Amino acid sequence: MVSLLRNQKVRNALLQVLYVGALAALVLAGVVIARRNLAEQGITSGFDFLYKSTGWDVNFSLLPATANDPYWWFFLIGIINTLFLGTVGLMLATLVGTIVGLARTSSNELARLLGRTYVDIFRNIPLILQVFFWYAVITHLPTPRAAHEAWGMMLTSRGLYVPIPNVGAIAFAAAILAVIAAIALPVWLGRTSRLSQPFGERLGIQLAAAATALATAAVILALGRLPDLPLLDFPALQGLNLKGGLRIPPEFSALAIAIAIYGGSYIAEIVRGGFKSVGKGQMEAALSLGLSPWRVFTLVRLPLALRAMLPILANQYVWLMKATTMGIAVGFTDFFMIVALTINHSGQTLETIGILMAGFLAINLSLAAIFNRINKAIALKGNQLRA
Amino acid sequence: MNPGKASGPAVRIENLDKHYGTFHALRKVNLSVGRGERIVVCGPSGSGKSTVIRCINRLEQHDGGRITVLGTELNDDVANIDGIRREVGMVFQHFNLFPHMTVLENCMIAPMIVRKLPRTEAETTARRYLEKVRIPEQAMKFPGQLSGGQQQRVAIARALCMQPQIMLFDEPTSALDPEMISEVLDVMVTLASDGMTMICVTHEMGFARRVADRVVFMDGGEIVEEAPPEEFFTSCRNDRTRQFLSQILGH
Ligand SMILES: Nc1ncnc2c1ncn2[C@@H]1O[C@H](COP(=O)(O)OP(=O)(O)OP(=O)(O)O)[C@@H](O)[C@H]1O
Ligand SMILES: [Mg+2]
Repeated sequence: MVSLLRNQKVRNALLQVLYVGALAALVLAGVVIARRNLAEQGITSGFDFLYKSTGWDVNFSLLPATANDPYWWFFLIGIINTLFLGTVGLMLATLVGTIVGLARTSSNELARLLGRTYVDIFRNIPLILQVFFWYAVITHLPTPRAAHEAWGMMLTSRGLYVPIPNVGAIAFAAAILAVIAAIALPVWLGRTSRLSQPFGERLGIQLAAAATALATAAVILALGRLPDLPLLDFPALQGLNLKGGLRIPPEFSALAIAIAIYGGSYIAEIVRGGFKSVGKGQMEAALSLGLSPWRVFTLVRLPLALRAMLPILANQYVWLMKATTMGIAVGFTDFFMIVALTINHSGQTLETIGILMAGFLAINLSLAAIFNRINKAIALKGNQLRA
Repeated sequence: MNPGKASGPAVRIENLDKHYGTFHALRKVNLSVGRGERIVVCGPSGSGKSTVIRCINRLEQHDGGRITVLGTELNDDVANIDGIRREVGMVFQHFNLFPHMTVLENCMIAPMIVRKLPRTEAETTARRYLEKVRIPEQAMKFPGQLSGGQQQRVAIARALCMQPQIMLFDEPTSALDPEMISEVLDVMVTLASDGMTMICVTHEMGFARRVADRVVFMDGGEIVEEAPPEEFFTSCRNDRTRQFLSQILGH
């Protein structure tokens, strides 16, 4: 028995069991106490409320929403809003971060100075202040009657109005998936067959894949087109307000811009670090083989920098995803705000918080899982200390 | 512009001057290397050996004098630089392999992109040179999975796959454990006996004795002495050379 306890594996297993047991006991105790307290206050716990209609409305939704819809539908709307804001915010932040980060590593002194100033300023102003700032700026834009107009889009204090196709919801979603495939397929094809075809041929296959996906999107749009309406629905002034098109409310724009600018300043530092970590030697070797500076960048510098950046970038993305909960500060109905409203109206605090935590856990764990897979797939093999 | 077709020396360096900021790294260096000639460059640390050979393929930019490689003058003309880099291979002290590509890909990438070789041909060439440096079985491994000596031999194969006319070596064995040095030197000796034009910065005096046509000794950014190996080791005239030789040979 004593010798068994000395075994390292047995010890580790025992510690695990103790740890999980203690955790389970803690959770169980919490649930029991909470149930008793709630029962004393006359609140019935459980998830029945999910099927009741909410009685209130949301100000932004990609799905149809009315006050008669049940709570579970609103949670779904909230999650989709959060994902939408997160995706747009993260993509913009990555774009900003890449530009600023490259400026910081450039050989041009002015570009470096601008990049540094950007990072110093926007990284050091709290996100919530930046959200309020952009919200104030946008809500002080001209009224719909004096809207700024460009490419069929209208910029007003009530939000940005963009044209949307007159297409059924399912067809629209399918078309978006096809467009995403048009971007993702060439990347995926390029990754799996770096040298198995000549470079020219590979480009052909990638272009063909992208074209096929885009054509599919076009066909879906054509088939799903609503009858008797023009293909594109343009926003237009009607009375005092704009009708038609899709309204992107100021709350959403303010959040997306703030996340892009604030997140961009952090991502810029990650990008800079990634590029700095690439050894000069590898680039010199590539140059000495006669590769052009552009090829050295795309074949050696960028792939190596990306490998250094991705793990930290994944952290940053998870963090920024959680920052979408700032939505409540300006009244954007993201997941967190829906949860807060639900608590107010239904009183089902514990269940709702549970749903909130499970939702964010699911979103962020999926994000982390995706990045882990990518990381694993591209990780450098072997011991890099010598290289 | 087609380096290689013209006659004359492989590399001609005339009055080469180079500053790093205010530091004068090379002072009026003159060196001419004939086709098929093997030069060993030695000298104390900081004497400018690396700087000289890095100027030959423009990893460093010189600020005085002339460098002519295979009849083409090295200047700001990008076409000249590209043409020269295509014909001049380089092997570095720290191997500098591309860690995200397999050994085979390391060897195929430049021939496919720069020389526009079809894939099959690039692969045949790569396998032939991996055979030549005696590691054909490592083709599908990644650099991080190889020993230092193996990595350096891959680096030599990678440079050879471009089928250069001149090879530059910058202390190719200095980062290696003693038992791996000879496997790299053996490959270099084979290369020399095939008639490759080679400029090697190295302190392996055994190698110099065996293959060098001339040994060049540098100190303080200048070429102090230049002689065939026998003469260099037995009857060097300069004090600094003698002191240097006694340091690296004398224990
Ligand atoms: N990028 C640089 N910036 C500033 N000074 C440099 C740079 N590269 C080299 N030097 C200086 O130039 C001088 C010559 O350097 P070089 O690398 O050519 O010496 P070396 O003979 O190759 O020495 P070692 O045997 O240590 O490799 C050294 O004094 C070095 O400090
Ligand atoms: Mg050196």
